[in-house]
Formats: sequence, structure tokens, C-alpha cells
Amino acid sequence: MDPVRTAVMGNRFSAIVEEASAIVHRTAHTTFVKLIQDYQCALATPEGEIFAYPTQSGVTVFVGMPLHTTLDRIGRENFEEGDIYIMNDPFYTDGLVTHMMDVTMLYPVFRDGELIAFGWSFVHASDIGGAVPGSISPEFKEFYQEGLRVRPIKLFRRGELNHDARNIFLDNSRIPDEMWGDFTAMISGMRSMDRRLNELCDRYGTNTVKQGMQDVIAFGEEKSRDIIRELPDGEFTFSDYVEAIEGDQHIHLCTTMRIKGDELELDFTGTDPQVAAAYNFIIGDRTHPYVTQALTYYLLTKDPNMPMNAGLLRPITTVAPRGTVVNAEPPAAMGSRVAAGTRLYDTLLGCLDQALNGGLMGAGAGMVGIIVCTARDRITGRRRVSTLNPIMGGGGGRNGVDGIDGADGRSGALRNIPTEIIEVETMIHMRSCTLVPDTQSPGMHRSGSSLLLEMENTDQEATFTVRGMDRFRFRPWGTRGGNPGRPCEVILNPGTEDERSIGKIKVLIMKKGEVLRIISPAGGGFGDPLERDPARVAADLRAEMLSPERARADYGVVLDTEGAVDMDATRALRDERRAAAAAPQGHFNFGPEREAYNAIWPQGMRALLATEVLKVPKSARRNVMDAAYASLGARGCAVDEAAIHAALDAACAAHDVPRARAA
Amino acid sequence: MLRVGIDIGGTFTDFIAWRLKDGRSQSVNLKVPSTPGNYAEGFISGLEQVLAQFGDVADEDLMIVHGTTISTNTVIERKADPIALLTTEGFRDVLNIQRLRLRKPTNLFEQRTPPLVPRELVFEVEERTLFDGSIRKPIDPEQVKACAREALARGATGFAIALYHSYRNDEHERIAREAVREVAGDVEISISSEIWPQVGEYERSMVAVLNAFVQPKMAGYLTQIEGYLAENLPKARLFITRSNGGAMSTEEARRFPVHTLLSGPASGVTATIDMSKRLGNIAQCLTFDMGGTSTDVSLIRNNQQMTSTTSEVGDFPVSMPVTDIEAIGAGGGSIITMDGPVLRVGPQSAGARPGPAAFGHGGTQPAVSDAYVLCGMIDPENFLGGRMKLDAAAAERAISPVAEAMNTDIRTSAEAALNVATSNMVARVMPYLARHGVDPEDVTLVTFGGAGSLHGPLLARELGIRKVVIPTTPSVFCASGGLVTRLVNDAVITVHGMELTAQLLKDGFAELQTRSADWLAQQVEAEQIVETNYDRFVEARYRGQSFQILIPVGDAVAEGDMEALRAAFHAEHQRLYSHSDPEGEVEVLQLRTRVLGALPAPVAEPIGRAADATQALTGSRNIRLEGGEHLAQVYDRARLSAGAILAGPAIVEQHDTTILVPIGFSCTVNAEGELELELEKE
Repeated sequence: MDPVRTAVMGNRFSAIVEEASAIVHRTAHTTFVKLIQDYQCALATPEGEIFAYPTQSGVTVFVGMPLHTTLDRIGRENFEEGDIYIMNDPFYTDGLVTHMMDVTMLYPVFRDGELIAFGWSFVHASDIGGAVPGSISPEFKEFYQEGLRVRPIKLFRRGELNHDARNIFLDNSRIPDEMWGDFTAMISGMRSMDRRLNELCDRYGTNTVKQGMQDVIAFGEEKSRDIIRELPDGEFTFSDYVEAIEGDQHIHLCTTMRIKGDELELDFTGTDPQVAAAYNFIIGDRTHPYVTQALTYYLLTKDPNMPMNAGLLRPITTVAPRGTVVNAEPPAAMGSRVAAGTRLYDTLLGCLDQALNGGLMGAGAGMVGIIVCTARDRITGRRRVSTLNPIMGGGGGRNGVDGIDGADGRSGALRNIPTEIIEVETMIHMRSCTLVPDTQSPGMHRSGSSLLLEMENTDQEATFTVRGMDRFRFRPWGTRGGNPGRPCEVILNPGTEDERSIGKIKVLIMKKGEVLRIISPAGGGFGDPLERDPARVAADLRAEMLSPERARADYGVVLDTEGAVDMDATRALRDERRAAAAAPQGHFNFGPEREAYNAIWPQGMRALLATEVLKVPKSARRNVMDAAYASLGARGCAVDEAAIHAALDAACAAHDVPRARAA
Repeated sequence: MLRVGIDIGGTFTDFIAWRLKDGRSQSVNLKVPSTPGNYAEGFISGLEQVLAQFGDVADEDLMIVHGTTISTNTVIERKADPIALLTTEGFRDVLNIQRLRLRKPTNLFEQRTPPLVPRELVFEVEERTLFDGSIRKPIDPEQVKACAREALARGATGFAIALYHSYRNDEHERIAREAVREVAGDVEISISSEIWPQVGEYERSMVAVLNAFVQPKMAGYLTQIEGYLAENLPKARLFITRSNGGAMSTEEARRFPVHTLLSGPASGVTATIDMSKRLGNIAQCLTFDMGGTSTDVSLIRNNQQMTSTTSEVGDFPVSMPVTDIEAIGAGGGSIITMDGPVLRVGPQSAGARPGPAAFGHGGTQPAVSDAYVLCGMIDPENFLGGRMKLDAAAAERAISPVAEAMNTDIRTSAEAALNVATSNMVARVMPYLARHGVDPEDVTLVTFGGAGSLHGPLLARELGIRKVVIPTTPSVFCASGGLVTRLVNDAVITVHGMELTAQLLKDGFAELQTRSADWLAQQVEAEQIVETNYDRFVEARYRGQSFQILIPVGDAVAEGDMEALRAAFHAEHQRLYSHSDPEGEVEVLQLRTRVLGALPAPVAEPIGRAADATQALTGSRNIRLEGGEHLAQVYDRARLSAGAILAGPAIVEQHDTTILVPIGFSCTVNAEGELELELEKE
């Protein structure tokens, strides 16, 4: 690894992909690309390892995306100069596409007839057909409902547009022109990368450029290993749930992190079999950035100058059993995979929190709801679908710092839409958008606050959908003595006779004058609240984010008659509390709802059930799972190994499938 | 007429003065150390030194255009007395929630920048105006007064008022201001609708907050300077530069200091435009302003600056139109280190203090300026015309651990560091140009700032830029913007959500015209204005889109020609994004007018002709460039005359900066004395 070549090539590669990403963004047509920036382009080696990935625009979550399997299956020898392959098939590409909306292209870069790199690009297409506009509904059971699936085909053959390939996509979209606009933007971006990489070869020589690709990846790997080596060796497991759309059969996500020296394995064994809802995704056999996200962020946090490439992922291996939510097989639906992705992120945080001496952080709010309203357009009078706002919750308290109010790391790139613009453009009157006092979960470092949105419909009728809501039943967990967070809450017509809590919104029709209030969850606290610096408690009191009652109850902080902290009384009260407190049990504080669930499903039992069900033939797997889960839950006592086997035997027998038992 | 441009930076305060007397013009420039803590001191002593060179000036018309960073520093350092914000009921946390988005979501320990107004000083006014300007809930002045009393009790010394939808109907903000005034008396009260009436509550609230926050410091500073001028130079007129590249009266600056927040680098762009107009044939310029602590670039197309409404200062949005400047990293102070096995330059900076090791202010870490010395580009004996001796041995000591780690010699490691620094800049400039749809091959680089003319040519070579222009006074170029800048103001009417008719369009632009003319009349006596121009713009988008573009429009549109407006929109959309939809419905969000009032300004003059460069030759030295040692001729710029041509590699020394002519470039001195570097055919 040459010290100068690595630095200069790293910068030049980064300039090339940043420029291309800016071109895609500038020339694209749809809001998904323009505002939400759900797109990206990058450069990979001929083997398929990404060596340069943009950070200034587009999504960061796919840094290090492996192209290998797709290239193996297409056959590198089938790429000719001027070709562009287009695809959106998650299964054929084995996770290069994580859901069908992410239309992807691959572009071979040649130098003097030699294949020296691949350009990769995707955009989240706003509509690829399917049963609903936008192609996504959490309730879809199979990918067939989500639009057309296309394995890699040549969109360009030696520079000539293949009209058939183009038409397959366009004929199946509700917005073909915009789709083609986005495709053209991707093509412009990749052509720019081709041109610039060749210019770089002109300037520095092809061998230097090729060697530079290997250098920058090796540098990324070395930095990543340096950070992993600092982590204590060991095995850490953490489970969390995506809440069920109906009933209580929540989706179990389970991560085991094994750290040894400078290597790290993520094992998702124990995660539920894929579900008949659009929460699944696929990652294949190689380490996939979609599931390493919390870990990738940890690496970037420890070293913000980390090169953005596949080297980061080289020390990490993954085990993701096929047929589970995180490595699904046909006919799994995947449109709303973000819910599972968000919760998997929490499980990695949970593992890291155990691994790190002193801990890392409490769970974030763990949901990102996208509020969509259909009502009359104020100007045209036509009915119109408007995205009103994303709603997140407060971030978890962290080792050394409080959580962020009203926003959370994993979805932290999203922007809101100003209240004034919502009111100008839609029939919705925003009554309030504010933080909520006394929702910052107590801890030595408390969480951020919940966010409250209150919306009044001024049209005759408006239809609301909110996708991505979660954490109604299981609170975001606190850690190291920190309290769990507040769950999500949705109230219709607050303060009136009609007031009612309505829980997770699927479709809500609101009449004129009706008011919808959403209070997002707050993350968990970090560390014992009795250890919180009284000066910080006083600051929260002064800001009116904390009431004197909660200051006393949660933090043991006593105020004098002037409202200032009475240090002596505080010390005495805290000592008294500490003496009375039971010894803490484990790192995490899940809150009463999850504890009650854990009483039925102790540590490891959901993982065992999931693992055993995976052995059942695919055709009956879902039915067996549902039946066994129902019968185990109905017993009203803690599930154990024997009960699981008995329930599965019975369910298999009822569905007439053989039951394979582990030896 | 005597005109002086003054630019206060973190390290130096720059002066440039020009006088036209009896048909003869004369100009003088000067650099003095800035005086942080009391900037007025440096201002006054520098001004006295400059004016002394013109003899007795007490009776002359004196025009001073001054760029100050007082307001910027106040925000960045957050050093001001507490102010309160009055907002609409239901939205107390507008400053805390911001736009929700986190700056760096990949950082697990990311934190929001705390608001300039703490939550305990934000008060909800029980009122509500709607999107169409109608009142849903009337304001109650008594309730506002109660808020104001509480705010004062909690220590507030000024007020910002930003009520929802005040860009459409400002009545409630005005009532609130009166109510606060009754309780609080003579304190600063900024209302959002008066400064920049645009839709978007967070950004508009921040405009009012920033204004109220910096107002007392700015007012104090201006009072100090005006006091001095009134006493010593009674015929002086003082103008303050603003973030849009123009200037304004001190009265305006006192009321609306928010307009100065990003004025520093904007002046360099103004000066570049003045030069590029004269040079002609330059379709697109990229400014390259590199000093000790920062490097900025900005694109100029067809002699028009790029305007941004999404700029920031101290992590806060400044959503009024300002010159679009892209910071691309640190400057000569960027530190050179080993990052594991790889050489790294920046982002840490030695800053002005302790600065690079060679500067002898106690810096021990190698910085980019040390590498210039070690590569032979800067002569340590002749830096700033010999006024500052550099310590080459200290530079060598500082970089030797890096050279050792790289297993190479000092000079090789120094050149490697410059290459890495250049590639850092490439990585920022290429995407910046791509966002504006411009190829580096098609721009002319204009370099200035202390290190700009040394490193700019290196960057040009790496980016494939074929032409570089070096102004006559690169190191005080921002100050020279003050000699040519005009009085500039932007006015806006938000029509977002209204049905735009030809009548509304016409009336809107007529009103903007009146407002703009009124503004100009308030800045200076009419006879001082040489020429007035009005530039008109609309901000528009295709209906249903959520991103908009600013398009310049002509007189026809201002007269209400809707068809011309649509055509202009489609054309600009096509140019910017490579596609347009002539059938698509165009939605207009804002009407804007920019007034530009020109003041008497210098015209560049020929420097005299004597074609041969050899008369300026002062010697030669070995410089390290492109992996090898090269003998470079060294020239004295003061002795170079028009028409002289010299070939790279060469060094041109000037009393306050050093210029590099890279290998493969020729350098021609043009009639006005600017150096034009051009890439020869390779």
C-alpha cells in the first residue's frame, strides 16, 4: 500500500463517484431521488468489490455492497463495451437488489479493451407497477403484488438502446416518463464515471489506477480491523421484535455478534421465517451492508475519515439462514423492509452495547412513520396524495451524551416539510408540532424527547395512511440502568368527547374538523438516572422539558423553595433510593410489556422456535409456525424446549408434513 | 473621489484605496494584522496608514466599503446577550426540531447544534394566521406583553418575532412588535416578515433570530467607526458589504446585520465579476480563494454569480439569496500527518496560530505552507516581500517524521503532501461543478488569497483546467471587491399557493420595483448613483415537484406575460437538468427583484508596455514539481509589463504573494497587468 498513491487515488476515486452522484441527483426526475435522495452510484473492481462510494449525496446504507454473485451469474465475459444491464430481481441478484423498487444498473468500464471496473447505480423507482400506486404496502403477502420482477437484461448493447428492455419497465409503471427520466440520470452518472476513470488512467497510467483500487480497499480493511480489534472478544446475542400487523405474533429478529481479534461475525440464526407481509428482504451469502448498518456507523463514528468502500466489510462475515425475514426466498414481499431493517439495527446496537466496556447506547425510537394524506388539492381541487411528514422519535441516551430530541440516528437523514408549506399545499391544518415534556427517558444520559404532531382536516373528507409505525407495544429499551422509552401513541380528537386512542394507523378516514394527534416513541435512557449530574437535571427543568415531580421521582433531585437544586437533600434522597433499589438485572431494561412477553417467551425460546420451523418444508412452514405459536402462547406459562417440540409435532401432524428433529 | 475597500479577516485586515483626481488615478493597498477583541482598532489604524499615502484628504469625497465578520463571529462563537423568540402557539420547539434532519447521521454520537435561543426564552403567542393570510385566531396584545415581561425577567435583552404565515400577512407580527415595544422599551426587536418574507417557518424564524442575536454587537461596532469618521473624516460615506455581493448603508446594516453574515467571501466573487467582464470571452469562471485557514470556490457564469438560498452560518440556515460559496477545506495551515500507512493532509489545521512550523509562531506540526517552502516554491528569505522571514529548518524538522514513515526524503514527502492536498480539493470541486452542470475543462480559474496563486495553478493542472487568471492584487482581492461593488438589495413576494394571474404577476413586480427603488433611495443621495439596474427572477417548478429553480426573467414577464414566463422556465429547466416538459404546468412560488445601484468605481488601466519578461528576471531556483527537480526562473511581478510572456515552470514573486506557473503552462501579462496562464498543447 503506497502512502501517496493510496491517498491520491482515494481522493480521485471519491471525486469521480461524488461527481456522478451529483449528476444523477441533478438530472433525475422524481421526488424520491430529488428530495428523499433514495438512489446511489458507485464504482467496483471487476471482481465486484466497491472501491469508491459517495457520501455527499444519495444513501449511505449500501457502502460496500457486494456485486460478486450478480456478476458471476451474468458472467463477466458477457459484458461488452457500451453494455448496460438493468435489473430489479432481488432473488436472482441474491440481494444486490434488496427490494424490487430499487431498479439497478451495472455498467462495465473498459480501458484499451480491458475490463477494469464496474459502475453500479440504483434508484428507488417511485412506481414499478403492482397493486397500489408506489408499489408498496406492508400488507402485501407476495412480491407478485409489488410489480414486475426483471432479472438482469441488457438495456444497452454495445451502446445501442434495447427498446424491448426499456419498454418492459416503462409499460409496467404508472409513471413511465418519470421512470425513464430517472433511468437516464443513472446512465449519465455511470457514463461520467467511465469517462473520468479513463481520464485518470490517461493521467496516472492504468496500472496505477488498478493498483489504487486495491490499495484503497486494503486501507479501508486495515482501518476497520483496527477498530474491531479494540472491541473485546466474545459472543453477544440480542433479540427484538417488529410488531405484528394484527394480533401478537410479533416478528422476532435475532443477532449474535461474535468478535475474535480483528474479525467479527454477525449470525442471524434464530430470526423468524419470512412473513406474509412486506417486511422481508434478502442479503445472500456475502456480508451485506444493509444488515451491518449499525456496525458500519460504529466504524464511521470511531474514525470519521474512514475510506468509504468494501474494505470496511472485509473483516465482517455473516450467517443469515435462507428462508428467514433477513434472507427471504420467493415469493416473499419486501416493499416495507425498512421496518425489519430498523429493528435489526437495534439488535446490532444491543450486541455492541453488551460488547463495549461501559456500554454504547439505549435503543432509538425505532420507527419512522411516513404520513400520507389524500384530500383535495387546495389549488386544483383535484384529489391528491401528499406526503405530509416523516415522524421519528427521540434518540436513545448514549454513553456520554443525551439522545437527540425528536430524531433518531438510523433515519436521521430525513427532512420534514415545514408546517407552512403543508398548509399552503394541502387541506390539513397543523395545530402543533412540538417536543413533549417529560418524555425524555430517564438515564444518566437521558433519551431525546418524543415528537408530537397534531393535524386537523379541513376538507370534507381526508384519508390518512402512515406506513412504518411501530413500537406501540414494546418500548425502546434502556440500558445500563437507563429507563425504557415511551411507546408510540395515536389519538383521534384529543380533548373532545370523541377522544380515542387508535393505535397503529393503516387507513384512517377523517371527517371535516377531526383532529389526529401522533406522539412518537422516545428512545431508551443510558445509565442510572440517579447518577445524572443534577446540573443537567436543572437545565432540563429550566427548559421546561422536565417537571419538578419527575425530577424528584426519576432522578432523585430535590428543589428548594426558589426552584434551585438542593444539593444536600438530593444527595440524601439519592442515597436512600440506592439503598432501597434491587440489584440491577442484566444490561437492559425492556419495560413491563416486553417483560410480560418474555415471561411467556424466555430468552432463546423464540430463536429455537424459528430455527425449528425453518426445518419444516417450505410449503407448510408459515402454517406450522402460526399454529405452533398460537398454541404455545395460549398456554399462559413460560415456553420451554419441550413445549416447542410438542407444539411443532402437533402442528406438523395437523398439516401433514414430516417433522425433522435435530439429532 | 477617493474610494477605499476594507476587508477584515481572521488573520489580516486588507485595504485597497483608489483615487481619481484631476483625471489621474492612483491606487494603494495594505495588509495589517487584524485586532480581534476590538476590530475597530485595526480598521482605524489601517485606514490612517492608507490615507496618509494620499496626502491631505479631509476635504475629499471619501467612500469606504467595508466587509466585516463581526456578525459571523458572533454567531460562530455564540457570544451575545440572550434574546427571546416569540412564536405561534403550538410551535414552541421550532428552533429545536429544525428541519428534523441530522447533519451527520452516521455518527452515533451526533448532536444537534443548540439553538441560539434556549427553550426557556421561547414563548408561544396565542394567535394564528392561516395560509391565505386570513386570521383564525386574533392576537391579544396583552398576552404578548405578558410573554415579553416574562422574557425580560428571564434575562432577555432583545426579541425575535416569527409568527406563522407572516410572509403573507404581517399584521400579527407588527402588533406583537408594538406590544413588546411598550413593555421592553428601546431594545432590538426583529420581525421575520420585514427581513425576508418567505414560506417555511424554521428558516424564516432563524432569519429573525440571527438578526436580533447579532444586532447589538454590529451596532456597537458601527457606532465606534462612525464616531471616528464623523470626527476625522466628515465627508466620508461608509457602506457595509453584504452576503449577496453588494453593499448597503450603515443605517441598513445596523437594522439588518443578518445581511452581512456571509459577506466575507462574497466580495472576492464581486471583484472577479468586475474583472471577467473586462477580460471578455470568459463564459465560466471558478474563483479559488485560498488563505491560511480556509479555501473557498465559487462559480460565475456569464458574469453572473451563483445565488444560493440554502447557505449556512454556524450550522444555522441563512435562507436569503447570498453568493453561493463552497468551502473546500482548510488552507495553507492544513496539517500533514500519517494516518496509519497513508499520507493525510487536513482536515486538522494549524490555523493562524500557531500556524505552519516555518512561520515561527510555535507550530511544530508540518502544514501545507511548510511544504511550499520545502519544495522551493516559496523563498523563505523573500516571503511577503522579505517582511517575514520563514524558518525552513523548522519546516524540515516538522515534516521529517512523515518523511521517515514514508521512507523517503524531505523534499519528496513535501511534494507528496502537496499532491494529496490537491487531490483533496479535486474531490470537493468536481462534485460542486457537477451540481451546477459544468465541466472543469470549461472553466477559467481565478486565483486569489494568500496561497491561491500558488496552489490554484496546481489544482488547475490536476483538474484539467486550461486557463488561470491571476489578478493584480491577489492577496487583497476581497478588499478590492469593495472598490467596485454596487448597492444591492433583494426583495421578495411569496406567491406560493396563490393562483398566479397575469395581473398578479404584473402587480407583484411593480410593487417589488417600488420597494427596490425606495430601498436604494434610503442608502445614499440619488446623485451618487451612477447607474441603476433591476434584475428580476421567479422561483418556480413543475406542479407536483418538490424542488424549485430560480430563473431570471425579462421585462415582458414583469409586464405580466405568462407565456414568456413559462418559456423561460422550460428553457432553464432544460439547461440545468437536461430535460424539460413543455406540456407541464408551471407553478410559481416567489417573485424577486434585485436592485443594483452603481457608485463611482475605478476602471482598470493599462500598466504600460515593454514586451520582454527578462527585465523582470531576478534569478532562478530549483523547485520540486511532478516528481522531479526543475529549474524555475524567478520573476518580480512589479517589473513585469504588459505583453511579457514567460514559460512554466516559473515563479513570479509579488510583495504579498507568490505565483506558480506550472510545467506546460505559458504566462502572459495582459494590458491591465493580470497574469493569464494557459495550458500549452501537450
